[in-house]
Amino acid sequence: MAWDFGILKEEEAYRQKVADFLDKELTEEIARQSWEDLGLDVEGRAFAKKLYAAGLMGWSWPVEYGGKGLPPIYDFILIDELGKRWGAHVPNDVAYTMVGHTILRRGSAEMKKEFIPQIIQGEIEFGLGYTEPEAGSDLANMKMTAVEDGDYFVINGQKTFNTESHYSEYHWLAAKTDTKVSAYKGISLFIVDQRAPGITIRPMITMSGERTNEIFYDEVKVPKNRLVGEKNKGFYYMMEALGSERNYVFVPSRYLPYLNMIVDYAKNTTFKGIPLAENPMVRDKIAQIAVEIDMSTLLADHARWMEWNHLPMTCEPEITKVFVSEMEQRMVDSAMQILDQFCQLKEGSKWAPLNGRMEWEFLHSFMTTIGAGTSEVGRTVIAQRGLGLPRG
Amino acid sequence: MDFTYTEEQKMIKDAARGFLEKACPNVEWYLDMDKDEKGFTPELWKGMAELGWMGIMFPEKYGGIGGSFLDLVVLLEEMGYAAVPGPFFSTVLLGGLAVLEAGTDAQKNDLLPKIAEGKCLLTLALTEAASTVYDPFFIETTAKAAGDNYIINGVKLFVPDANVSDVIIAAVRTSGTTGDKDGISLFLVDSKTPGVKTTLLKTTAGDKLCEVIFDAVTVSKDKILGSLNGAGAVITRVLQYAAVGKCAEMLGGSQKVMEITVAYAKERVQFGKAIGVYQAVQHHCANQKMAIEGSTYITYKAAWMLCNGLPATRIVASAKAWGSEAYKKVAAIGHQIFGGTGYIVEHPMPIYSRRAKAAEYAYGNANYHRQLVATELGL
Repeated sequence: MAWDFGILKEEEAYRQKVADFLDKELTEEIARQSWEDLGLDVEGRAFAKKLYAAGLMGWSWPVEYGGKGLPPIYDFILIDELGKRWGAHVPNDVAYTMVGHTILRRGSAEMKKEFIPQIIQGEIEFGLGYTEPEAGSDLANMKMTAVEDGDYFVINGQKTFNTESHYSEYHWLAAKTDTKVSAYKGISLFIVDQRAPGITIRPMITMSGERTNEIFYDEVKVPKNRLVGEKNKGFYYMMEALGSERNYVFVPSRYLPYLNMIVDYAKNTTFKGIPLAENPMVRDKIAQIAVEIDMSTLLADHARWMEWNHLPMTCEPEITKVFVSEMEQRMVDSAMQILDQFCQLKEGSKWAPLNGRMEWEFLHSFMTTIGAGTSEVGRTVIAQRGLGLPRG
Repeated sequence: MDFTYTEEQKMIKDAARGFLEKACPNVEWYLDMDKDEKGFTPELWKGMAELGWMGIMFPEKYGGIGGSFLDLVVLLEEMGYAAVPGPFFSTVLLGGLAVLEAGTDAQKNDLLPKIAEGKCLLTLALTEAASTVYDPFFIETTAKAAGDNYIINGVKLFVPDANVSDVIIAAVRTSGTTGDKDGISLFLVDSKTPGVKTTLLKTTAGDKLCEVIFDAVTVSKDKILGSLNGAGAVITRVLQYAAVGKCAEMLGGSQKVMEITVAYAKERVQFGKAIGVYQAVQHHCANQKMAIEGSTYITYKAAWMLCNGLPATRIVASAKAWGSEAYKKVAAIGHQIFGGTGYIVEHPMPIYSRRAKAAEYAYGNANYHRQLVATELGL
């Protein structure tokens, strides 16, 4: 035991293998589908299968379901290498980095056997069915109900901001199974066939052009074997998974392509004959972006290290989440100041710098401090769980 | 990858925590040290020497205990936590490590055992008045050869603890022009040499930063530390150690500030509740925690890189750029939560916020280090 920031030889060998593959196979089109959450189109699906066929998926998953049984660092390496190349996440992100882990922890033997191999092989994706119109930051306030009826649960209600559902095979759904007890004790998790009768999916288009969805359940019948773990334990399972999910979703390497882009711009753009790279203000702003990426990479490394060493995480992944999401906004603001009035030109416009990427990122960045939990909820978590400050 | 202290490091930490709690007993004592010309007590210094702290990183043959730079960083973290005053940093980081890096066998044999025993205090005279923007290589002080001697002329500023030092390592220009990294040499100057005049500057933190005037100071040529004209690389290396060491002190200081702030938020009652219940206060504390987590891992990564001889320019600059602002921010939040109480001179908060200011500017502030990062990025 000693401070050590290096990675093992075998881990480096895997990283190199992933890097070589992605340099060859990850096209801009696929990367942008991933980054912009536009979904697994034909190209994305094909890419997922290629990743699996190249033997790069599932290294951190149990051997009995087709994995290699190695620690989570291999999946983190995969995600980091994708991030460095504009690929925001593995193609079936929700399945691979969130749902799959809860199935492994809490699902029945039958459920694991059915779903885990398909997840590793990149064949299925889930939409995350948590948020409702009355249940945003106060997630426990959800109204959707699941009532037992013979061999089925019958589900009614509405979800919103369920981003992947229009292209996913399954819905990872939280609903009330007991409305008489406190909300935390009456929620259950289900795997629902996303195309089941009674489900209506309507698009919601965001200010940066991504599609998310609102979803209506009208007497939807879900077989009882699709209840995840025990009835009424759903909220607990969701909270238990939260730290790990943040470790997989908030990935500092994703900002390196933006950093490289603005560095290149500053080197190759002149004002009065002098490169912007020689302007102290420009240098300072870009360097601060790099400092924050350096720092947040270590926040993430530390929280991930805690996870794979089974150390109790209280607020560490939350710290990464809050910091990285706010860093993204500062990064965009600094970069836009360097681009000056050209920053507002969209992709496809005459004179648009950096192919309009920073302009798109500006619009996108409003989401980062809200999605998956606001910065305000995050700071409350850090204060209460991390520092032991009292609940109100 | 591993984010843990070794067993030895945990012992260093515990021993340091225990010793410094007793050695630095209360705020009144710190305020006395601020006013005191020397800024520390002989008992404090002797106690630190007995624990082997000055020689923690020196090989055993020089009277040290053969530890690593990481061990020293662990110790500095505790020193920052205790806000301990005195010439440890200047003697060990600036003086001792420069001698260890660049000294001849004779110089090492002469100085390192004495430093380890606490019997010789060193410092480094680097920055000058013309550096209105921090630049350690902007050196106008000259050393001119005269037979077997050199004659040093010039003025150095912000020299820590020169007033109590036995040896001042003077960075001087022996060739090239002001601002060149080449052409700089280091001289080991006995602080009592005629022509050396030290004046204490009055500072925010009450630390002992000095003006040192070299007025035709004669030094024999065997007092050159490292190669003639080639000190640029040594200074760069020593300043990397110093920057990371200062990050460790800042980390410890910010941990202490957060600790007392959070404890206060839990007990201070207003509007019928402990103020720590209110989200405005909770979010302030969460911001402290975030800043400190970042400081922790970037400091230890930079130390680990230096320890292992890996290219560290980028990470050291990142660490000091981050740490300088993080400590300042953590201290400002502490003041906000303590309210008027923390504004009183006998409160611990001003001890820390004043040191945060001094540390921010030591060995380059965030702006300086961001320029280094920019250069590393190819800008």
